[in-house]
Amino acid sequence: MDTWVKDMRKLNDIVDYCQTLYDDLNFTAARDWKAAKPGRHVIGYMPTYVPREIIHAAGMLPLGVLGGGDNLEVIHGDAYYQSYICRIPRSTIELAVTKRLNFVDGMLFPSTCDVIRNLSGIWKLLYPDVYSRYFDVPQNFTSAVGGTYYVQELRELAEGLEGISGTKITDEALNRSIDLYNKNRRLVNDVYNVRQVTPWKALSWEVYLLMRAGMVLPVEEHSQLMTDYLAAVQAEDRPKRDNCRVIVQGSFCEQPPLNLVKSIELAGCYIVDDDYMLVNRWLQDEVPTDGNPMENLADAFLNYSGETACKYVPEREDKGKFLIDAVRERRAEGVIFAAPSFCDPALLDRPMLSGALARENIPHISFKYAENSGQMQPIREQAGTFADTIKLWGEA
Amino acid sequence: MTLAAGIDLGTGAVKAVIFDVTDGKINWVSRHIEKIRQRDPHKLAREALDLAIKDAGAEIGDVGYIATTGEAESLDFSTGHFYSMTTHARGGIYLEPEARAVLDIGALHGRAILVDERGKVLGYRMTSQCASGSGQFVENIARYLGITWEEIGPLSLQADDPEKVSSICAVLAETDVINMVSRQISTPNILKGIHMSMAARLVKLLRAVKVTDATVLLTGGMASDIGLVAALNEAMAGQKVDVNSKSHPDSIYAGAIGAAIWGAYRHDKLTRLDELALAS
Repeated sequence: MDTWVKDMRKLNDIVDYCQTLYDDLNFTAARDWKAAKPGRHVIGYMPTYVPREIIHAAGMLPLGVLGGGDNLEVIHGDAYYQSYICRIPRSTIELAVTKRLNFVDGMLFPSTCDVIRNLSGIWKLLYPDVYSRYFDVPQNFTSAVGGTYYVQELRELAEGLEGISGTKITDEALNRSIDLYNKNRRLVNDVYNVRQVTPWKALSWEVYLLMRAGMVLPVEEHSQLMTDYLAAVQAEDRPKRDNCRVIVQGSFCEQPPLNLVKSIELAGCYIVDDDYMLVNRWLQDEVPTDGNPMENLADAFLNYSGETACKYVPEREDKGKFLIDAVRERRAEGVIFAAPSFCDPALLDRPMLSGALARENIPHISFKYAENSGQMQPIREQAGTFADTIKLWGEA
Repeated sequence: MTLAAGIDLGTGAVKAVIFDVTDGKINWVSRHIEKIRQRDPHKLAREALDLAIKDAGAEIGDVGYIATTGEAESLDFSTGHFYSMTTHARGGIYLEPEARAVLDIGALHGRAILVDERGKVLGYRMTSQCASGSGQFVENIARYLGITWEEIGPLSLQADDPEKVSSICAVLAETDVINMVSRQISTPNILKGIHMSMAARLVKLLRAVKVTDATVLLTGGMASDIGLVAALNEAMAGQKVDVNSKSHPDSIYAGAIGAAIWGAYRHDKLTRLDELALAS
């Protein structure tokens, strides 16, 4: 696979490159990165969030594993799970047993839900010689309790990675990595902000592919890619359509098929915010690049991380506030709840979030998908009639 | 003056209309319809629009809003897209202001839409199985029987002993029709049987959206099939559905009409919002 060539600045070239990365279920870019120098290691991680800075500081490549999408036939994966759970663990197992992940030196399973936790157990049974870790995060957000716990969790993660590489992760290296990821998050936010202001220029399916590229590329390359995309999209002359502006919510783990993202847009909805691949912008402010980096990362998680169904909200009245704030800040006209079938966190969160929206008179609809959903007509009809309702009977 | 174009890209035909909406007065200026017949529908849509604009004595730049509906979401020259339910509801109210339900019977499916006096969709049901209750199926059968589209309705009205066909599956229904031909069932009785099967399904839709004591306007390409309209009235009488069903000579344009009227509405609304934004 080609690596990113800096003089390839045309929008189509950038999007095509991201599409190639997205379609590649063999993770060739990550394999090539590993093969380029002896001693390199790749650490896979699943949604929703892991501190990629620590993996990077260990000289390793963090590799986002987001299931098999709609181009992977799950044959073996179904044997490991009951039928009434989501698809991402089955397709992830399928990726593994078909040797598509056989170059990965470790896997991290964040505390997204019970299914992902159980997947970490299956992984240990299947690959006892490969490093794997259930990466827990605090649900108590005080420094004394959650902070102490999380710093210890981060140190254990670092020690595990040091065991693979054989070298110590220094504070200096970690601060350098934090700096690189700060820059990456700034660019991610820039892309989202450009899409918010000119959604007809930065199309959602392109932005989606651009963010997906960040799952498989080194952070430095992904940042360059976003810089080039921002320049290219500003130069692009695309017609503005009379679409409504929506936020998509509930897709933080198992990803929708790309056609679903395209269908929402085609149905007359500009997506002005979403929760796809939250790892790219989980920390919502700059993490300091001096002092104790573990404590800085912990402080960022406790005090300015994003919100999603797998993060506890201590005060009941605060539940859904982030979504209402996002509607206001992004000038959205409605919310589309799009969650994977059987996704307990997203689907159990939905009534609370939709209640909060209803109290603010913010229009919303909901539907479910699987990563391999193929029939988009019902979703187009639903999203399209939602857009009509907003455009014809809404306030704006 | 706001000139708005409406383009309804259906499965069987593309319809384009131009409306002038000024101070709340809605004036239908021009129209164009073209059967698709295995040609590039997007190209036909553009040609239909250009012809409608020419007939209106206008230029493309004079059109404030180009609204699409039907299968035209991805037309790159449109200003905005509205879904078929939305546009048929509004187009139905334009053609028949007393209507409180619209029965849209197109080439691929039928749907009953409950509407209010503004054309707002209050509820809907649509055929969910296959194409045996659709215009495309009727057109196929007509071709097998060697008759034209225009002959279907009048022939159906001549039936004296109709044979019902499968209302579930177009493949089974087509087999039924082949069997009928071999049993020398007359063409009027075959056509009437098809109309009766379709009507039974459509009345179920009307019952599902709870239409009672109202005027129902038939829209879509099948609205001009007088055989189907007669079968529908008979089915409604038989099932004690108390509605007054009507067709309109321009029913086939309902989707395009609704798109153009809503397009003009959006054009005015967006202009007002822009003015407000500038003023503030």
